[in-house]
Amino acid sequence: MRRYLFGRLLRIIPVVFGVVTVVFLLIHLLPGDPVEIMLGESAVPAQKEELRRELRLDRPILSQYASFLAGVPRGDLGVSFRSREPVLGEIARRIPATLLLAATSIAVAVFVALPLGVLAAMRRGKPADYLSGFAAMLSLSIPNFLLGPLLVLLFSVQLGLLPVSGYGAGRPLVLPAITLGTGMAALLTRMVRATLLEELRKEYVTAATARGLSYRSAVVLHALRNALVPVVTAMGLSFGAVLAGSVITETIFSWPGIGRLLIQAIDARDYPLVQGCVLVIALSTVAVNLATDILCARLDPRIRYE
Amino acid sequence: MRSLRVRLPPWIFLPIGLIAGWGCAQKLPIDEGRMVIALPGAPVNIDPRVATDAYGEQILQMTHASLVGRDGAGDPLPDLAQRWESPDPLTYIFHLRPGLRFHDGRPLTSVDVRYTFTWILDAANRSPHRGLYRHVAAIETPDPRTVVFRLSEPFAPFLSTMVRGIVPAGSPARGYAPPVGAGPYKIDDLSPDGEAVLSAYDGYYGGPPAIRAATVKFVPDSNVRFLELKMGSVNFVLNGVDPDLLPAAERTGRLVVEEGPGGNVTYLGFNLRDRALSDARVRRAIALAIDRETIVRTIWKGRADLVSSILPPGSWAHDPDLPAVPFDPARARRLLDEAGFPDPDGDGPLPRLRLTYKTSQNEVRRRVATVIQEQLRQVGISIEIQSLEWGTFFSDIKKGTFQIYSLTWVGISDPDIFHHAFHSRSGPPDGANRGGYSDAEVDRLTEAARREPSREKRREMYWRLQRILARDLPVFPLWAGRNLLVRDRRLTGFPLTPDESYASVRAMRIVPDPVTPSTGGPR
Repeated sequence: MRRYLFGRLLRIIPVVFGVVTVVFLLIHLLPGDPVEIMLGESAVPAQKEELRRELRLDRPILSQYASFLAGVPRGDLGVSFRSREPVLGEIARRIPATLLLAATSIAVAVFVALPLGVLAAMRRGKPADYLSGFAAMLSLSIPNFLLGPLLVLLFSVQLGLLPVSGYGAGRPLVLPAITLGTGMAALLTRMVRATLLEELRKEYVTAATARGLSYRSAVVLHALRNALVPVVTAMGLSFGAVLAGSVITETIFSWPGIGRLLIQAIDARDYPLVQGCVLVIALSTVAVNLATDILCARLDPRIRYE
Repeated sequence: MRSLRVRLPPWIFLPIGLIAGWGCAQKLPIDEGRMVIALPGAPVNIDPRVATDAYGEQILQMTHASLVGRDGAGDPLPDLAQRWESPDPLTYIFHLRPGLRFHDGRPLTSVDVRYTFTWILDAANRSPHRGLYRHVAAIETPDPRTVVFRLSEPFAPFLSTMVRGIVPAGSPARGYAPPVGAGPYKIDDLSPDGEAVLSAYDGYYGGPPAIRAATVKFVPDSNVRFLELKMGSVNFVLNGVDPDLLPAAERTGRLVVEEGPGGNVTYLGFNLRDRALSDARVRRAIALAIDRETIVRTIWKGRADLVSSILPPGSWAHDPDLPAVPFDPARARRLLDEAGFPDPDGDGPLPRLRLTYKTSQNEVRRRVATVIQEQLRQVGISIEIQSLEWGTFFSDIKKGTFQIYSLTWVGISDPDIFHHAFHSRSGPPDGANRGGYSDAEVDRLTEAARREPSREKRREMYWRLQRILARDLPVFPLWAGRNLLVRDRRLTGFPLTPDESYASVRAMRIVPDPVTPSTGGPR
């Protein structure tokens, strides 16, 4: 297990290196000068040169890249151009909001997908199955930027139950979490249904019921557990999509997370902040995928740590 | 296969019921005496010495007081300075009000004023406003209530640069922790990207504001801003609701829409280095071919005023008798013929000339671009629209890589803008003469006007200047969007000014609703 973990952690390095390099190049290729955006039009040329030197933007791009890479292992992601605060501090202020939203939306997805998927598999070919399939297709087809305002219209404006926007672990969290979790719930519902149907065809289910175990117990205690392995893998892979989706959801609901920060950083050409945000998002995605693999091995002892 | 019967346990309805009950029991902020203002974005910084973004400036107008304020026409008003005099064009003497104090109780004296501007002028602090005060040679404080600014050369717009919040001496630049001010509201709490919680400052020299508590929410999505207004969780949005949604806002009964003249002028910029656009006849033909009235009526729902100068009509230096460019496609065609761009195939599809029109990704601007494209097609000009992400778009404009672009001049407070925008030596990146316009008389007038202390003489120079620009059309001023305020009908007392100032928020009050009594009642 330790060796496996070590190997996996080693493999994170090239992935993160690749992501950081591509983002560094892309953000520097974008037209737009951070110095001009920061200083505005009233600044004098000498002042711009001064700031360019101060921000070390006057150095060759390779040298800037090397400085950034050298800082990463020490946790030094530089200083934000726009707020002049350390990038790590900026991200640390926003990351709890994004993690809260991502975790809640995944919880919403699982809470919806498990019972619906099981129901669809158990009642294959019946109205409940078709209804769940239709709901899943509909949910997958609606983009977040449309679903969010629709939910606001229904639950906030028409029914007056929930706030339109804001930040908090209670009522303000409900609509953003549903918006972000709906697509994932739809995907997981279809996966639970498909993998459970696969398991239900296997002989151990017949054997379990033949020994007198109730059908419901055989499904919930045995078949569902085995069916969950690919579902958990899909959940891990979806985490990246949830983080990406949070960029739009956070903007709609004025949620002060890392997604909104990233958008503002790109608008201001705040290179260190963009790089920092992407690095943190990449690391989170890789970490969640690692945790997913470990969880899969726990769920199915046939999976070995290799 | 056996079926699984699913029965929902009764407890599952408990959270739904709780949320419903909670929702119904919630009072609106205005019922509890709190006003909620929504801004379309979060401020990057709330420090008057470094803030450049509009949202930071708008919060500062509520929390920080300046030496002088500004009225709707751009004229200076007393603020912290009770009065001022200028014995010669190089000296300005400000006399502070007695008994001024900051939010934390410290007295506000001339030392704080000197500190604020010295801090901005110190190169080590990298303030983006440093260039604005480059004419300041020395700041003297003969006594606690007198500040003397000495300039290195005459600079007539100097007073307009004194609209800058004063901070206590010794205030470090602390990122998100804003320095205290002496404005009508103080900041109790600020969450980046979330909201700023304000409360009335009892020691404000003009008396504490009637509304004791205010929240400024940062809501980037325009539809969400409208829905918040509709629900009552936001009560005040200035220029943040799409014109399309205004009728719906009026229908709610809860909301009132007010409009007033605006100071932000949208214009078409031409690249005078371009072979076709260097000819004033081509630029005039383009202007004649654009039916601005139809665009204002259909896209802006009538909520914009046609203009003939980039200086807003409310400004003291605006020339009211400037000739307006009419919609006259027949004359546009004649001018294009004269300029050497005849129609190659009569009514056929071939254009007289092809041009590229750059704009941002703003939805309204894109719609405007599409209509202009169609109107110019009618006179034989083929337009390719390039709608670019803001950073890319603005970078292209500053580099001069464009033929036609559309932008809006925001927050023009002094006619010295003409020097910045049209003087031949004001090219990018340090000036805004992006099209490369050059006229000796314009250069002379802009230089003389910024040195001229007499308001009347300056006005005459700017009127002459505006007539030259109306003749040459280096840019084509289109319209000034009207300021649109959507507010809860119980919030009253906010005078709309062309410069979108939030300074008058302090004059607002919450009045009882005569039609639908609120649950809590105003405080």
